[in-house]
Amino acid sequence: MGRAVKHVRRNRLALAATVFLGVMYFLAAFADFVAPYGESEAYYRGAIVRTYAPPAQLHWRDPRTGGFTRPFVYPLTQERDPSTFELVYKEDMARPFPVQFFVQGTPYVPFPLSLIPEGWRQATGFQPQVSWHLFGVAKPALVQLWGADQLGRDVFGRILFGARITLTVGIFASLLTLLIGVVVGGISGFYGGIVDDVCMRLVEILITIPSLFLLLALRAVFPLDAKSSTVFFIMILILGLIRWGTIARVVRGQVLSLREEEYVQAARGLGARDGRIIFRHVLPGTISYAIVSLSLLIPSFILTEAGLSFLGLGISEPNSSWGLMLASAQEGGIQTFVSRTWLLVPGLFIFLAVLAFNFLGDGLRDAFDPKARK
Amino acid sequence: MIRYLSRRFVQLIPTLLGATLLSFLLIQLTPGDFTDRFILDPNIDPLQLERLKTQLGLDKPVLVQYFVWLWHLVTSGYMGESFTYRTPATGVIVPLVLNSMLLVAISTVLTYLLSIPIGVWAATRKNSPGDHVVSFLTVIGVAVPNFFLILLLMIGVLSLQPIIRATGGNTDGWLSHLLGKLAYNPQLGLLFPVGGMRDNDTYDAANWLGKIKELGWHLVLPTLVITASSLAGLVRVVRAQVLDFIQMDFVRTARAKGTAPRRVIYKHVLRNALGPVVSGLGTVLPELVTGAGLVEFVYRWPGITPAFVAAIREQDLYVVMGLLTFSGVFLIVGNLISDLLLLLVDPRIRYQ
Repeated sequence: MGRAVKHVRRNRLALAATVFLGVMYFLAAFADFVAPYGESEAYYRGAIVRTYAPPAQLHWRDPRTGGFTRPFVYPLTQERDPSTFELVYKEDMARPFPVQFFVQGTPYVPFPLSLIPEGWRQATGFQPQVSWHLFGVAKPALVQLWGADQLGRDVFGRILFGARITLTVGIFASLLTLLIGVVVGGISGFYGGIVDDVCMRLVEILITIPSLFLLLALRAVFPLDAKSSTVFFIMILILGLIRWGTIARVVRGQVLSLREEEYVQAARGLGARDGRIIFRHVLPGTISYAIVSLSLLIPSFILTEAGLSFLGLGISEPNSSWGLMLASAQEGGIQTFVSRTWLLVPGLFIFLAVLAFNFLGDGLRDAFDPKARK
Repeated sequence: MIRYLSRRFVQLIPTLLGATLLSFLLIQLTPGDFTDRFILDPNIDPLQLERLKTQLGLDKPVLVQYFVWLWHLVTSGYMGESFTYRTPATGVIVPLVLNSMLLVAISTVLTYLLSIPIGVWAATRKNSPGDHVVSFLTVIGVAVPNFFLILLLMIGVLSLQPIIRATGGNTDGWLSHLLGKLAYNPQLGLLFPVGGMRDNDTYDAANWLGKIKELGWHLVLPTLVITASSLAGLVRVVRAQVLDFIQMDFVRTARAKGTAPRRVIYKHVLRNALGPVVSGLGTVLPELVTGAGLVEFVYRWPGITPAFVAAIREQDLYVVMGLLTFSGVFLIVGNLISDLLLLLVDPRIRYQ
């Protein structure tokens, strides 16, 4: 195991990927702090309107003196363009608003404590709220670094909040898939005979149905309009139930050969129960495959979750998920994207996250590969 | 060989039955059924609802419904009635399946046709700049979500719209003139169509050649995207396989014998290397169908997936079952084809 870690450390792509993922997870955990605005803080009516606002322009030079100064933004006003009659955002050059750090903003429950379910917190009246944000500007200016969506919500903030969903669903669903696959494969391979036939037949049936359709059908078993927190668990459950087949097959193959090993005979001779033999002696032999599978399942689940949210069957408003952000932006028609390219950023992040996990998985696979010269 | 194939076919029948049973049970697990939407409607009499339920067969126990459906399917090919459209489900499903199959079949053929030469090319030039480019592209291709890629392409086409539209006007750019000549619809400014399977007016007005042209234009973008994603994965596999086999002793012998390098590759290496690739058709096909699904959804291609999503929302039981059965059959046929191809490529299997 240590040898594998050393191997990965020498692989620069895998290393860069791990660093990137580490940063993403950190930002996702502390999203409330890093993002200047809340997850669903909308600005589409009232005093401040920012529907489809472009990314905020940070100015570094003082207009009067021309020297470098603390970055500042101008508030945006909407005007009608005289030739196209469209509503266009213009900067109100009269009042600069400097960007400040460690400001007070929208209150939130800080990271480790936000893991406690909402219900429990409300029941005990334990609502520790903090308002510190990494950076921000005074109202009515808004510093929306990557623009705003159709309800005026900050895209930068929503990407960070969406990262929470994407990154955690991927991992938990893969763990579930691995668990089911390894257990079924282990039992099937160890006992052979009827148990093996039935299990492999079940796996074949599962593989026959295209995973997307199975996923949609499973999703429909649960209420389509459930709350996002429930949908989170539903998604983990159904994602975990679709891909265990291939894992089960491979693990079964490995178990078939591993069970003939001498240490298994020895364990049996000493009187160990079957269950103990499977779980303590045979299955640990499959661990390298398990780790590699895990790192390759996660990106595929990230893509699947994004696709499901994109279809509107995953995480729903007002929470954010990268697929959902793309879908909401698409609602106004594809033409929306042509003039508002910042709405495509969620797709970029899906790509980067999948890429990072792929590099990590390749690195791990090379590390565990017995054919590589160490 | 016929006996082997028919044996395999018979083995797959219980799998198909199991798949349909599983799907049926899954759909029945969804709370409520089709008639629920009418419960809140004050105009509808509860007795009418009961009668509707009986009519649709929804009041019988689940397993009975399944066997009734199966019996009808096997004896007369009747898949039940679509609740939403009140016509036999087959009429609703078959055009959708054909549309999807068109897309998937063309993409699969293109994928295999392209991945083998590219994989071989990259493997024979290992670590050359060309190989690095291929590796880079495959890595990207595997990571890009395909619904995002089709979205990007459609946006690209739409952003080129003003440039192409101006070709009739007074821009003097050579690029816009070139694009105007190549474009699908210069007046609208579309380089490629951005949605749907065909434009009904042009389609109906054209002769059979025009119809094919129209379909062809609409096929370009989705096929490109679906092929690209599976191509990336397959090229990696082919390259890895070829690299494995190129180091083997029999290749060295063939080269020492003086066999032309091209023959060495295509006759000796590929026959061994392609075994898993070709038999992988059975596993690649479901991935392709899934991938095609999301692309169909964004591109509004009238295929299985958009209809599937709608049918699930409406709990249109028999349409869902019909679609699942068809896709199951399609996949099983794919499996059989891959077995057949494996037989052809690997003579060792023939003599089992």
